[in-house]
Amino acid sequence: MPPASAPSAVTAKSNVNSGKYLTFALGQESYAIHILKVREIIRLPDITPIPQMPEYVKGVINLRGKVIPVIDLRIRFRFPRAEFNERTCLIVVCVRLPSGNSGFMGLIVDVVEEVIAVSSQDIEATPDFGTKLDTNYIMGLAKVRDAVKTILDIDRIVAGDLLQIAPEKTDGQNSEVKS
Amino acid sequence: MTSDLSTKLRKLLGKLTSEVDKTKPGSDQDQFSVMDLFIQLRKSAAGEAALAAFQTLANTSAQSVIEIVESGKAFTQENIDHLKGALTDLKHAFEQSAPTAPETPAATEAPTVAAAETTQPKPPAQETLPLPEETPLVMDIDGDGDILREFVNEGQEHLENIEQGVLALETDPKDADVLNKVFRAFHTFKGGAGFLNLIPISSLAHTFESLLDLARKGELVIDRTIAELILEGGDLLKQYVIEMQAQLSGKKPRGPFILPTEAIKAKARAVIESHTGKTSSAATPKPAATSATGGVKTVPTVVVRKPVVVRPPASASPPPSPAPPTLAAQEVPPPAPPAAAPKPSGKPTVESGTSAVPTAGGSSVKVDTLKLDTLVDLVGELVIAQSFVAQHPDLKAISNQFFTRSMSQLGRITKELQRTAMSMRMVPIGSTFQKMQRIVRDVATKQQKQVHLVLNGEDTELDRTIVESIGDPLMHMIRNSVDHGIEKPDVRAARGKPAGGTVHLRAFHQSGNIVIQIQDDGNGLDRERIFKKAVEKGVVQANAQLTDEEIYHFIFAPGFSTAEVVSDISGRGVGMDVVKRNIEKLQGKVEIESELGKGSTFSIYLPLTLAIIEALVVSVGDQRYIIPALSVRESFQLTPAMLSTVYNRGEMVKVRDRLIPLLRLYEHFNIKPRSTNPTEGIVIVLEAGRAARCLLVDQLLHKQEVVIKSLGETMKKNQALAGAAILGDGRVGLILDVNALVQLKSPSLQMAA
Repeated sequence: MPPASAPSAVTAKSNVNSGKYLTFALGQESYAIHILKVREIIRLPDITPIPQMPEYVKGVINLRGKVIPVIDLRIRFRFPRAEFNERTCLIVVCVRLPSGNSGFMGLIVDVVEEVIAVSSQDIEATPDFGTKLDTNYIMGLAKVRDAVKTILDIDRIVAGDLLQIAPEKTDGQNSEVKS
Repeated sequence: MTSDLSTKLRKLLGKLTSEVDKTKPGSDQDQFSVMDLFIQLRKSAAGEAALAAFQTLANTSAQSVIEIVESGKAFTQENIDHLKGALTDLKHAFEQSAPTAPETPAATEAPTVAAAETTQPKPPAQETLPLPEETPLVMDIDGDGDILREFVNEGQEHLENIEQGVLALETDPKDADVLNKVFRAFHTFKGGAGFLNLIPISSLAHTFESLLDLARKGELVIDRTIAELILEGGDLLKQYVIEMQAQLSGKKPRGPFILPTEAIKAKARAVIESHTGKTSSAATPKPAATSATGGVKTVPTVVVRKPVVVRPPASASPPPSPAPPTLAAQEVPPPAPPAAAPKPSGKPTVESGTSAVPTAGGSSVKVDTLKLDTLVDLVGELVIAQSFVAQHPDLKAISNQFFTRSMSQLGRITKELQRTAMSMRMVPIGSTFQKMQRIVRDVATKQQKQVHLVLNGEDTELDRTIVESIGDPLMHMIRNSVDHGIEKPDVRAARGKPAGGTVHLRAFHQSGNIVIQIQDDGNGLDRERIFKKAVEKGVVQANAQLTDEEIYHFIFAPGFSTAEVVSDISGRGVGMDVVKRNIEKLQGKVEIESELGKGSTFSIYLPLTLAIIEALVVSVGDQRYIIPALSVRESFQLTPAMLSTVYNRGEMVKVRDRLIPLLRLYEHFNIKPRSTNPTEGIVIVLEAGRAARCLLVDQLLHKQEVVIKSLGETMKKNQALAGAAILGDGRVGLILDVNALVQLKSPSLQMAA
């Protein structure tokens, strides 16, 4: 896990591998996840909601006989709500859970873009000024052609969720999840 | 030379030594006996090639004594000195040709005898020698990862064999089969460790291997002390394996580590030396002359003792030690490792667990448990998919004969496949039971009680996961039985009971369940004390009317303990509630019977399999929920008359003559129901132990078998859900956790209004 704070910007950078990343969009912003974490991309299936869960945990789905939880990243990152449309997809990722085991999770995203190759020169450390996300969850910024994609540390995002899960309602005023 | 001969010679030498000692210069006393003995020695040694030198010596000495006697003279001091010298030489020669025999230099404990010997006394207080430095264990996980994991897995099996073997040897120390088994376990352990360069393990195993080797050759009899020592050694090896396992699975950081082995090795070596007369480090033919009687003395004393012997042993192997106060005698036939039995002891890791699958021929294969689980899962899904296809109305309407026949064929094969797959998960509970032997023995020893553990039904098979999970609760309950149940021998005698208590551990099938029973003939549960304690803790009102069994169940309340003395084993009151929870997690329950002064019986009821359950599917709004059929008492439609609101307690439903709180599921889960009017929905009476709830749902859809899927770690915190299942249309249905639901406090008055 890369150290959290920006002062170790150099270390943050060196921890982000060059390689292939899957990019997707949430609203106007573009994000990237390392390809090795991605299991598959599927259309949005029937989601069974789970009661007493934070809002961003939409529920569970049946993935060829396995029951996996599904997270709505828009809600998670507190973007304005949007309807699901035919382009909304589910990215199934394999994450490392706090217990050390690995598990599957589904991430609901607006649009899946493409797989790109990013070399370490193209990766910049996360600047420290306010973004919607706690910089804990950002591994770096990738410069691809003219755009900038935010590389997500998906393990941390998921882990943060898990620690937070309790039957209280999450509202917009919630402070950032501590990992 | 034969051991008979060597024994004889030793005896003669011994006698001769004492006779020579008695001789005095100027007296002809004992002349004849001395002469006689020398002649006997000469005769006995005749013909033995190995004893050629001995024989010559004996001959010479015999001759000289004969001469003296025939001359009618008495022994002179010179004669006597000469004889003593000759005797010493004889003994030397004897030892040269029989190096493994323990030496018997003198029949008396006189220190002068020791001086007469030329054997070098062992450095007197070996205890004060500092122990050698501990060697750290270093693993090359990257290079040898797979082999290391295999070693760890197999190691656990060997350790089990060692423990069970030693416990068996305590009752029958001469059992050759068991001795061999334990020897081989250490031997294989040593081999594997050596290959992987795990130096401290192979050294420790090697020491005990030598010890066991002596035992199986009959040169050492395993008494309580030695058994204790071997168990200690085994425990230490177990610690190594546990630490290795933790590092391999990533639970602990990798790196070399040290465990204290030198002290145990020294003790073991001392035992070895005292039985072979040979120091393990130097192969000198000079024996360390210490006693070979395997008595119940502590090992370090042997080391310190000066090289003086008490008396020559009657035979090559020392007489068996006096039977220790009978402890943990095993009624079970010696634990011959069932060839085809699976190994439930090793906890399968995510990467590569193993589990043996017995075949009809008795041979077995090792299969990765992950593959096994996947297979069983898929078969479960297949069964359900098949039944949906078979039940589909359109297909049922087809009258084509060939089609109908094929469908039944499909059904038959699927059922058979399911039976076989389920049986692969089944594992006999025997090895879990065996582990209890050690516990009983240890606790009984610590508390100076005599406890006999009788096992029954070890062949009973259970789902593998149940066997793994039931181990800890069982251990706790057995500990309790011995600790609080069985009384000390004097108390038992005063009660007219036999001094040794008995704990029966049984497993059997009963009407679709597995029952595990723990029965002791000890104290029994004190109803009054428990009730008083429960009132003290505020768990119940002082004037409540409760049945015996209800009172007994209070012992499962958290923090509850009526033990007057808190031992380090139990009595702190943290155990039983965890036990109950673990059993409930397995969808099981516990029943208690007891009679004060006579004993108690705990019966654990468990379902045969965890993976598939009979379930009721209900709907609330457009969501569907699954309720395990086992927990459903009944279901009905409410009439207004049955519903009432009790002040401060919320809504209650009158079911026959019982008032059960109403739980509106839509409220709890915050879903929009079809109707909020209780009389328009269906009430399902849920039961868990003594507690019950009336669950209000919209509709009762149908009953079906479902395959339980875990919701995963992410959903662990959600109390009301026990898991998920995939329903016929492919959607996920959530399984309700009945135990959690029945414990919810009744909704507040506001809701009821």
